Amino acid sequence: MFDVIVKDGLVVDGSGAPGFRGDVAIKDGRIAAVGKVDGEARTVVDAAGRVVAPGFIDPHTHFDVQLLWDGAAKPALEHGITCVVPGNCSLSLAPLKASDRRAVVGMFQQIEEMPPEAFTTAFEWTWEDFAGYRAAIEKNLSINVAPLVGHSVIRLWVMGPASQERAATPEEIAAMQDLLRQCLDAGAVGLSTSFVDLDEHGRPVPSRFAQFEELDALAAVLGEYGRMLQVVPEFYATDITIARIDQLAELSLKHNIPTTFSPLFDTLAVPDNAERAIARVEEQFARGARVWPQMQTRPIDISFSLLRPSLFFARLPRWVRILRQPLEQRLAALRDPETVEKMIADCGPDGGEAMMGRLVARGGDACPADLAGKTLSEIAKARGQVPARALIDLSLENGLDVAFLSASQGHQSTDRIGPMLANPLVHIGASDGGAHLASFSTYGDTGYLFSEFVRKAGAMSLEKAVAKITGETADIWGLKDRGRLRPGLAADVVVFDADTIDRCEEEPAFDMPGDGMRYVRAARGIDTVLVNGEVAYRSGAYTDSRSGVVCV
Amino acid sequence: MDEAVIVGADIVAGHDGSAELVVRLLHPDGSEHPVLLDEDTGLKLMEACGASSLEDLYGQSWRLIMPQG
Repeated sequence: MFDVIVKDGLVVDGSGAPGFRGDVAIKDGRIAAVGKVDGEARTVVDAAGRVVAPGFIDPHTHFDVQLLWDGAAKPALEHGITCVVPGNCSLSLAPLKASDRRAVVGMFQQIEEMPPEAFTTAFEWTWEDFAGYRAAIEKNLSINVAPLVGHSVIRLWVMGPASQERAATPEEIAAMQDLLRQCLDAGAVGLSTSFVDLDEHGRPVPSRFAQFEELDALAAVLGEYGRMLQVVPEFYATDITIARIDQLAELSLKHNIPTTFSPLFDTLAVPDNAERAIARVEEQFARGARVWPQMQTRPIDISFSLLRPSLFFARLPRWVRILRQPLEQRLAALRDPETVEKMIADCGPDGGEAMMGRLVARGGDACPADLAGKTLSEIAKARGQVPARALIDLSLENGLDVAFLSASQGHQSTDRIGPMLANPLVHIGASDGGAHLASFSTYGDTGYLFSEFVRKAGAMSLEKAVAKITGETADIWGLKDRGRLRPGLAADVVVFDADTIDRCEEEPAFDMPGDGMRYVRAARGIDTVLVNGEVAYRSGAYTDSRSGVVCV
Repeated sequence: MDEAVIVGADIVAGHDGSAELVVRLLHPDGSEHPVLLDEDTGLKLMEACGASSLEDLYGQSWRLIMPQG
């Protein structure tokens, strides 16, 4: 008697091999058989007409805090993701002394944009070391977690405030090595560091004060365990990114470790950026180094409000001058009819229809609910105004707290990005799940991979796309128990409709602690998600299953 | 030309949803490379240059990117 049989689906096993019609049987949390399975099971999942694949792995997230009260990392799990990697960009919630919590909370708020209540009411701080954090999240997991430990918090633990002031001494570096060993022993999948991130005061995060000797020493410890080094490079600055690739390659070769840098973006403003970076990666792989560039699938949107100046208006000199003024003078200018007439005229004879008409009122702020999701063009027509005037008036009527979104302003060219994503040396990731909550949704990139790059563009086959976010990701990260439908491996399984899998429209949700707002995207086309053999999500609803584990 | 100057500027989408500024610097040895400036730094650069459009940045010294100008 099996626990579960997923019956009669198109089995796409995560290896990249062609799919085949068959069953997947599960026993004691593990895959027991794949193919034509005879026998009975306590639970049968009918997968006829659906794809049966390994659960997806998201290798770049910031769910560190959310996992303390939401063990499913919603909505990640409903998108078919069965394993997340938090702790990226040099920041994790452990190891962390009680006296340093305030400093790290500030850094997390800068990245995640979580409300303060997330840190004061949503959970109890019960840990200082990595093992304690692991114990705190493990109680409630319905998704698997492969956590990175952050270089910035390791530095902060050892050096205190000096971690944001100077290079470390040899003794301090040795202490960091010892601390990193403790974290790896406690289940960290690797170390993350950052060369670009800032804290809430605009100061570089601690990892940015490290000299190369420090990073080299920490990489040596990673080499003892064969674990991952993740870095955030100076993206768009191609020459510096290439220098980072070379630096990572040296560390990879010297210490025999995998490394990854994220994100790698394509942009028409620096058209050879991604192409040159990937070419350098290919050269370094040819030398035997492992330097995996992480590229996200979704385009990047720009959002702004008139509450503060935005470079979105950089091509409108008068708008820049006015929006750069202090708030009171800005408001006075926006209320001055003569000034506004000139601002509208700057936008062209169509009143900004071509320039601004496709902007979308986002909602989740002071924007009237009935306008959220509508284009500025639609709003303007309903008001009997041109778009530029509607933007100004709607903002004034709501204390300027109305955010507008300009969709697909970067990393948006499917024709260019598709072949890059299909490159065997490009690692699909960098979703940033759980970060930038109040700016945009970081969920649904896997659905977008299938809808945009498999179905629409044909940039890769269904099997290849599945392999990229399952088997290949597990190989890159050394997750030996995950990523494929193979007897003996952990039974992380997703059942989905290849014709409809996608991400839904972005919408505001008020489900953060303290009724905090974040932007989310629901999933489309996902039928069933099993984590370690238990059904965690089915037919649009989460179950009570808590079968997730720290899976390193 | 004895120091790098700005020869190009464009708005790009930052990874955090903000609009950021990429300036292209031309160095005295003839090489060019892009530098990404976050929204605050980009706006400060425009202010330091007295620029009200991206084109006004062309020909300006790279030193104006630094906070002290």
